[in-house]
Amino acid sequence: MTRPISRRAALAGFGLAAASAGCLGRTENIAGRDPHSQLTLELNATPADSDPNGIRIARQLEEHLTAVGIDVRLNTVGQTDLWRKVLINQNFDLYVEQFVETEPFDSDALYGLAHSRFVAEPGWQNPFGLTEMAVDDLLAEQRRTAGSERDDAVAALQEAICELQPFSVVAFPDALTAVQERRFTGWTADRQPVSAAGLLELDGVSDDGAGDAGSTGGNATASDANASDANADDGDGAALRLVTTDDRITENWNPIAAEYRRHGTFTGLLYDPLVRVDGESAVPWLAADWERVDDDAVDVTLRDARWHDGEPVTADDVAFTYAFLRDTSMGSVETAVPTPRFRGRSSLVENERALDDRTVRLTVPDVNDAVAARALQVPVIPEHVWSDRTDAATIAGFEFDFETTEAIVSNNADPVGSGPLRFVEATAGESVVFERNPDHFLVRSASGDDADASGTAADPRAGVPPRYHGKPAFDRLRVEVLPSDISAAESVAEGLADATVSNLGPESVPRIGRSADTRLVSGRSAAFYHVGYNARRSPLSNPRFRAVIARLIDKSAIVDDAFEGYAKAATSPLAASPDAVPSSLAWDGRETDPVHPFFDDGGSLDVEAARAALRDIGYRFDDEGRLLSRGQ
Amino acid sequence: MTPFLSVLTSVVAWVGLMLVAASVAVIGPVRLREARGGLRGRVWDARRAVAVLCVVLFASVVGRSSLQAVSELFGLQATAFIYGLEGGFVAWVQATFATPALTAYFSWVYVYGYAFLLAFPVIASLALPRTVTLRRVLVAYALNYAIGLALYTAIFAHGPRNVMPDMVTPLLFATRPEVMALTSEVNVNSNVFPSLHTSLAVTVGTFAVLTREEYPRWTPVAVTLSLSVVVATMYLGIHWLTDVVAGVALALGSVALAHRFVEPRDD
Repeated sequence: MTRPISRRAALAGFGLAAASAGCLGRTENIAGRDPHSQLTLELNATPADSDPNGIRIARQLEEHLTAVGIDVRLNTVGQTDLWRKVLINQNFDLYVEQFVETEPFDSDALYGLAHSRFVAEPGWQNPFGLTEMAVDDLLAEQRRTAGSERDDAVAALQEAICELQPFSVVAFPDALTAVQERRFTGWTADRQPVSAAGLLELDGVSDDGAGDAGSTGGNATASDANASDANADDGDGAALRLVTTDDRITENWNPIAAEYRRHGTFTGLLYDPLVRVDGESAVPWLAADWERVDDDAVDVTLRDARWHDGEPVTADDVAFTYAFLRDTSMGSVETAVPTPRFRGRSSLVENERALDDRTVRLTVPDVNDAVAARALQVPVIPEHVWSDRTDAATIAGFEFDFETTEAIVSNNADPVGSGPLRFVEATAGESVVFERNPDHFLVRSASGDDADASGTAADPRAGVPPRYHGKPAFDRLRVEVLPSDISAAESVAEGLADATVSNLGPESVPRIGRSADTRLVSGRSAAFYHVGYNARRSPLSNPRFRAVIARLIDKSAIVDDAFEGYAKAATSPLAASPDAVPSSLAWDGRETDPVHPFFDDGGSLDVEAARAALRDIGYRFDDEGRLLSRGQ
Repeated sequence: MTPFLSVLTSVVAWVGLMLVAASVAVIGPVRLREARGGLRGRVWDARRAVAVLCVVLFASVVGRSSLQAVSELFGLQATAFIYGLEGGFVAWVQATFATPALTAYFSWVYVYGYAFLLAFPVIASLALPRTVTLRRVLVAYALNYAIGLALYTAIFAHGPRNVMPDMVTPLLFATRPEVMALTSEVNVNSNVFPSLHTSLAVTVGTFAVLTREEYPRWTPVAVTLSLSVVVATMYLGIHWLTDVVAGVALALGSVALAHRFVEPRDD
């Protein structure tokens, strides 16, 4: 936001002239007032090459804001820089981006996003700077209550958030993905196809691939395709080749680095959580089992697992993980430095103690089961690697006042996780290669050569849905960076890659159909596009002002024009979560937003209505129709 | 063959053919034959200019990724300013003039015509008995690259196709997606200010006008091609008008500086 220095200087000049004329008091009273000037807002988005959709939302909003008399600076920055601006430095007015989670999520995700206790922390915790007691209370209530009581709290919470608009939900996109089915099948179409779970569900087409270790017979039907042909391509038959426009995974593998993670798909395969969400249920993952021993405690038993460097995964690692996420300095810095990702989840665990090598007791006070299970969905990290990264971050040995730790700023080269994939190599900005972890519990078979494994209790995969058994179906996973969604779609259409990871714009869709083996898979993603407001800054700190901005967004037009129908307009951030949205916030059959309807005038913006709404809430315009704000 | 290699091969083949044709038509067989004598001496004479250009190109290849990181962190974020300055000019250009034939022409010019335009003056000035033009051309190229790289680092901005995809079609990449493999190898999408396509093309055009007495046939060809490149940068949605204006200024400045630095020799 800028100030008109020239106007002030002119005023000072007049003041001087007037003062010499002898009417100092009155002139001082005028000159002492800060002049009003046009409101300037910076709107941040990523360029079309990174994401073809977000910039279009930003463009519409820019046009409408300009029309009502606001000076808008439409600023495009790279994805890392955008999140650095928004999440780390909180130095923004407005931004357009997607939410982090792609799978339908529990309402408790809003806790991290909107609770005022996180207002001073950098990261995905309350980036908007919302401080509303009513929201805080409802967030706490939905953690504590269960059943219909919780449903009511969740409904009230959504209504409160929709009314306050710390961010405006625009639409839930269809995760358009070009896939090549000659080598791998089973691309899921009911949600985001390239997700951690989606990649694990794939089946190899060829028989000699790795997928036959324990898979359930899905291979046999597909093996009639030209498997030998596919394998002759590059000598590594069971390599899954993905293409993306997002180069961050080629240079940073830190699961808690907020500005480098988009949806955390690949770090989610490098690092195992204790519990993974599978559809509507939570399934034990690195945990063999978990049990609420009383109202305050959850006992988690671990599977037999090893880190990628061969060390065993122990209860101490799990205990370390929770203590570390709470304070990545582990007490070595005066003020705690909490993790910039998974903060809402990790805030559930108040204490942790290893009972023995394989059992850990987590203190999770007074929450319902759904929320308790969410506490177990953080990546477990090895203590022997991360305990060396708890010091304050330095540059060339010098400590600056960054209030951060080595752990947060580390790019985590050569990541050591326990997940089904392990890191092989990477060329920054170009590609990254992962390989299947042959030691992972998913590929360890219960029967077969293990003589003592006949008992069900010893099944290393107990509780894991069978479609993940023996997975992943590929030996290697190669992710290549390409300059745009069009080149990514072309690459798949030409058979050079198996699937696209990053977003495709609707213009890429016609390119996918050109080759017979290629098709478009799209499942609705829960990663909603939204306009985020910095509620720390005036006038965005005013919920009534944010509500008017929300009414400048024509969500239906965005879905029709920008997404060409490959999205669903929404009001609530929980619109993808089953049965969560109260009817007052539902879009079914509606033309426009039920809470903040677009200022519609036959398909275009009703500028006068928007200005009248702004006047009603106390804003003023000059003769040229510019919205005035106090110069800051 | 990867898309990058196949498009590179095609560019090399096309430009090679055009260079042979232009050498015969513009320089002429007689002068070409004469030029072979003393070629080594002239190259030796221009060694310092060659070295300067090589150093700049080498620095650009080696340092580009770290300069890009510096630009992202500390560069002036200028997209909003440029967009605010000129608004939808490029969108208007596309909306008013775009036809499939023109798109094909400008796409060709942007890649093939441009490469030929830059390569031919080196051959043509090498065929001249005196090396002053050659040295000035090489120094002007080096100045364009060096100043361009410094400005790319200082100013971080995206082009119109990245900012207004609803109004500006990335015509080049939509019609010839394989070209993107090539351009992304030599540039990134946040290097738009100034337009180096414009500045180098205008540099060549200016030299063609200045040396029109040596190669009268080259002048109209070079001027036409260089103006086409200038228009192509905007027509294809890659550059802003602001980038183009800055590119023209950079070109004229580089040519002037090259004349100032490089004096004719008496021999």
